[in-house]
Amino acid sequence: MHLAQIIISALTNGAVYGLIALGFVLIYKGTGVVNFGYGDQVMAGAYFALIPMTFFGVPYWPAVIIALLSSALLGMLIYGLFMWPLRNQSLLARIIATLAYGTALREFMRAFMGPNAWPFPFLLSPGAVAVDGVLVVPANLAIVGAALLVLSMLYLFLERTFVGKAILATCDNRLGASLIGVRVSHVFLSIWILASVLATIAGILVAPLLTLSPDMGLIGIKGFTAAVLGGFTSLPGAVVGGVVLGLLEALTGTYVSSTLKDVISYVVLFAIILVRPQGLLGPLLVKKV
Amino acid sequence: MRRVAFAAIGFGLFLLAPHVLRDFQLFQLCLIAGTAVIVLGLVVVTGMAGQISLAQSAFVAVGSYGSAILADKCHIPLWAGIPVSAVGAAFVGFALGQITLRVAGHYLALATLAFTAIVQLILIHADDLTGGAAGMPVPAFAIGSLVFSKAGQLYYVIVPAAVTAFLIFANLLRSRFGRMLAAMRQSEIATASVGIDVLRCKALAFAASAFLGALGGGLLAPLTSYLDPAQFGVIEAISLLAMAVIGGMRSPIGAIFGSAIFILLPEALQHFQTYLGLIFALLLCVSIVARPDGLASLRLNLGRGR
Amino acid sequence: MSGPALTIAQVSVRFGGIVALDNVSITVDAGSIHAVIGPNGAGKSTLINAITGIYTPSSGRIEFFGRRIDGRPPQEIERLGIGRTFQNTELFREMTAIENVIVGLNRQINYGLFEGALHLGGFRSGEVKARDDAMAHLAFVGLADDADTIASNLPFGKQRRLEIARSLATRPQLLLLDEPAAGLRPAEIAELNEILLGLRSKQRLTIVVIDHVMALVMAISDRVSVLNFGNKIAEGTPKEVRASPEVVKAYFGEERSHARGT
Repeated sequence: MHLAQIIISALTNGAVYGLIALGFVLIYKGTGVVNFGYGDQVMAGAYFALIPMTFFGVPYWPAVIIALLSSALLGMLIYGLFMWPLRNQSLLARIIATLAYGTALREFMRAFMGPNAWPFPFLLSPGAVAVDGVLVVPANLAIVGAALLVLSMLYLFLERTFVGKAILATCDNRLGASLIGVRVSHVFLSIWILASVLATIAGILVAPLLTLSPDMGLIGIKGFTAAVLGGFTSLPGAVVGGVVLGLLEALTGTYVSSTLKDVISYVVLFAIILVRPQGLLGPLLVKKV
Repeated sequence: MRRVAFAAIGFGLFLLAPHVLRDFQLFQLCLIAGTAVIVLGLVVVTGMAGQISLAQSAFVAVGSYGSAILADKCHIPLWAGIPVSAVGAAFVGFALGQITLRVAGHYLALATLAFTAIVQLILIHADDLTGGAAGMPVPAFAIGSLVFSKAGQLYYVIVPAAVTAFLIFANLLRSRFGRMLAAMRQSEIATASVGIDVLRCKALAFAASAFLGALGGGLLAPLTSYLDPAQFGVIEAISLLAMAVIGGMRSPIGAIFGSAIFILLPEALQHFQTYLGLIFALLLCVSIVARPDGLASLRLNLGRGR
Repeated sequence: MSGPALTIAQVSVRFGGIVALDNVSITVDAGSIHAVIGPNGAGKSTLINAITGIYTPSSGRIEFFGRRIDGRPPQEIERLGIGRTFQNTELFREMTAIENVIVGLNRQINYGLFEGALHLGGFRSGEVKARDDAMAHLAFVGLADDADTIASNLPFGKQRRLEIARSLATRPQLLLLDEPAAGLRPAEIAELNEILLGLRSKQRLTIVVIDHVMALVMAISDRVSVLNFGNKIAEGTPKEVRASPEVVKAYFGEERSHARGT
């Protein structure tokens, strides 16, 4: 297979992994919670677009808008029903809570949309087109392009708007931010909404590739791996981690074996945690005594 | 003396049940017993020791597939293969628990999740050994020439084994060993300061959970008589954790509650078959928000966990 | 037991570029009460953490009754006979007071897995002995009546005493107390002093107290070492140290800001 094709495939997947990883890191840095239900939010986001399209004949772009709005609402709901009530509880309880609503989202979709896969429309044509002897798939290019667009918008939002800067400040130094008058609970809510919207975008981009089913949320694990690769503490790191993972998978799939391609992300995750877990909690839980 | 009375009543009920219950109900009883043993593992490692584990499915697989493969390929009868697999799983669990030296909390959850995913992928791809994605049949449970194939017969194996496991671990949790785990959950620093090796404790908690998971898996294998790798994945691991949380993960009784709810709910809600998963998920959500510390809402003397 | 209980010889502790302890040497005599004082940030907690094995010194030696302990892990150091309490009282919050102490007795009441699984043999006698011993330790610190109170429900002063009781359960020869008087009212401090003096005389314990509450330090210490910015700046009897100009200078700024009410 042509190197260029490998790279495009790597970038396509990497772009999606990067977006998902970004959502994880955003929530973690901002609120201290690793959102184990995030993959399921990605899945739900795609369904939020599918439902208007399939049952109400809504065209693609309006359906996307509906999905984005619904996921913002979902983010608020999750925050209000789970994260806020449990904010002072043990880490274990909060981890279980994220698993809980993730499961609820998954089972909700399974119950109302059925356990089977739904086809999901591509942004651009999935048919391969020959350009200079290289096979190019417009759909993949669209995914990469959309991801880049989202990243730039996110960058502008975080660096240029007040809410965005408040979010960055809180991520960096929660105490400091509250001292200068940032309403931390409002920022937390904004972070959840932002991350939920990101999840939907990722879902809409990846659903055509994987076909949409309630279990599509398992892609969250790839997002984790990407975030862990990137060190789990920086937003750009998450994106880099995504691309690296995409590359690793593409190379493994081509040069080693396609069965190993499945395993590689889990093995990488496990290995990194064993060897270089830095970033999340440091090498040891150093508590001030 | 009260305990002797309980034991006598319990034994009486045990003997009575196969004569009053239908075969399907006995099947469910066995299913609950085996699942409760698995969930008990989570009560030990997550409820008592405070270490999140999404690896339980993998240990169940070690028990189920391990004993089935030993019976199929090495002609080791299940009654021997199940304990052997359980002990083997304990070693694996101990090794896995060593990771807690490096990581805690979120990363531990991720590592155990990755572990489960990797084990499942091995089950799917090691075709010669495990039958691959199609799965493998489980050889019949036999002691000598006595074959236990129906639920009514396996009942006499599964229930006593489960009860024994429960009694032993309930006792352990109410002894200095349970105290060490509870202490570790509440303050690792203080626990280390009184001379307890916290890493070893955590690894032993994982070993215990692995043993129980594999034991339960091994006991259930002849009951379901067929192993499908799809049953040993991340989502199943989350379900097991859900059972522990819903039943109350601080005491052994919680494991029985959680398993019973999970297995009997489909019966109780026959008209709502499609919504079963959702109802269970909602139960989990309510449980974790209402009881974030994991204590069972029913305080029974039998399972006083701390 | 002859010779000093604890020898801290030229110990430095560095975290990256920060020098928390700089070439500190302190000798603690067996059976004495030795205080280490100094303004906030002087390195007192770092010192205690270095002794108990949470930090490894970047240079220097720490010896406990002649045996080298620097670099060993916390549970090993504890087994050698050093107990400690914490600045942020580390209690088992969901357990009762007596259960907290019983955890401390874990190494003394050590029946095996088999007995624990069947509740036979050594289990019964072990559990009974554990309760009895724990009650004795609680009584020593004046908490006998609170044995069945949940630790988090105890008032602050009693929580601190509970930590001491739990530490006593491990039968230490040296007790390290990290700011035991912080947040206590004068009456509670007097009670604490009684307990510590009792430990020294009745149980022949060596006690190292890290604190800056003078009502405790000056009243009961045999010797006082003063730290500031990671260095030892003075050492002697309480009277000598109080009169030392370096000590006054180190605290002068602190007293100033206390006067202004910050």
